[in-house]
Amino acid sequence: MTQKPLELILARNLMSALSTPAFLVDEGGVLVFYNEAAGALLGKRFEELGTVGPDQWGSLFGPFDERGEPIPYDELPLVVAVRNGRPAHADFEISSADGVRHRVEASAFPILTAHGSQGAIAVFWPAGSSNGTGA
Amino acid sequence: MKVKLWGTRGSIPSPGPETIRYGGNTSCVGVTLSDGSMLALDAGTGIRSLGLALATEPARLHILLTHLHLDHIQGLVFFAPAFRAQTEIVIWGPASPEASLRDRIARYISAPLSPVEVRELPCDVSFRHCPEAEWEIGPARIRAASVAHRGPTLGYRIDDGPSSLAYIPDHEPALGADLDALDEEWISGLGLARDASLLIHDGQYTDAEYPDHIGWGHASLSHAISFARRAGAHRTLLFHHDPMHSDEQLDALGEEAGRRWRELGGEPGAIGLAVERSEHELPVRAPAAAS
Repeated sequence: MTQKPLELILARNLMSALSTPAFLVDEGGVLVFYNEAAGALLGKRFEELGTVGPDQWGSLFGPFDERGEPIPYDELPLVVAVRNGRPAHADFEISSADGVRHRVEASAFPILTAHGSQGAIAVFWPAGSSNGTGA
Repeated sequence: MKVKLWGTRGSIPSPGPETIRYGGNTSCVGVTLSDGSMLALDAGTGIRSLGLALATEPARLHILLTHLHLDHIQGLVFFAPAFRAQTEIVIWGPASPEASLRDRIARYISAPLSPVEVRELPCDVSFRHCPEAEWEIGPARIRAASVAHRGPTLGYRIDDGPSSLAYIPDHEPALGADLDALDEEWISGLGLARDASLLIHDGQYTDAEYPDHIGWGHASLSHAISFARRAGAHRTLLFHHDPMHSDEQLDALGEEAGRRWRELGGEPGAIGLAVERSEHELPVRAPAAAS
């Protein structure tokens, strides 16, 4: 068993308690967790999907730009955060498991520690919503 | 490997007639490795007695600090070997982006809190941030990993031949987590404790006390039991006793821990409460078969 870095463990614990959709990737860009709110947005719970490699998770739910074109992987906020170690923000459309498109805003920030980058977190808001729950 | 508990109390020294059996000194564990070399885990007030008990002065001594809360460093300026020029002391601890380990410890070992400064200590003292990778001290392999507590905090694992000691004295593994449901890799500290001969783990609160202390960085009895079960530790000592807990209260806590452990199918006697000055030889021998 390889222990996850504490910062990822605490991030997951926090995210589990949030009603804001949130995604967590490790330092290699592997999607290691998303919370129930994100699962509701995607139409699939994390427990059903499991961890997803960096070359796959982007294509699972789009994302698409305002013209409906897929956004290059390198430009996704989570990828910018984990690769470049800086926050990133974007708005785009994602496709849920049932094919419905949702317009969202996403902010991602890196998880930096004394030992360097351990990954990144992204939180999603439904576009135009005043809070992350969409309520 | 031999382990002696010099301080088992958490938070603040609590001497007095009501704590005389479990002890009132704060965290310190002495570890004698298979080649006779010596480690001290934490430097609470218990390290004062450890220093006085060293009959022959070791040339080199390693102190492994889990974190820098006062109950884990308060004994440093009362550690007799630190005041002898022939002693070399290496102090290991967690890194912080804010300041070096030496500078952070010097905030305590300096005026007005201390009559001496770090630079005035006669011994040869050095400070090292624990590396991410395993390292060696004498015959032992040492591993440190961040664990869930307030501020930068480490747990340690020490492997020496067939013996392994996991030391996680300040730990709230269940903060926002279900210890019975999560995959092992997502449980703070579990990688350190996996199959340890002896696990020394935070057991500060009763289950009734914990709801008023969520986020304070310590474990409830249920959490400590769940953690030990998931880790598969051969023996577990609950440590960092709450300063408000009397010997009688700790007796009751220990009985409850043993009962619940057995109900979960655990080996009788494999969990207990840490007692100051108690000694433990590792690996733990299997209990004799009942006749």
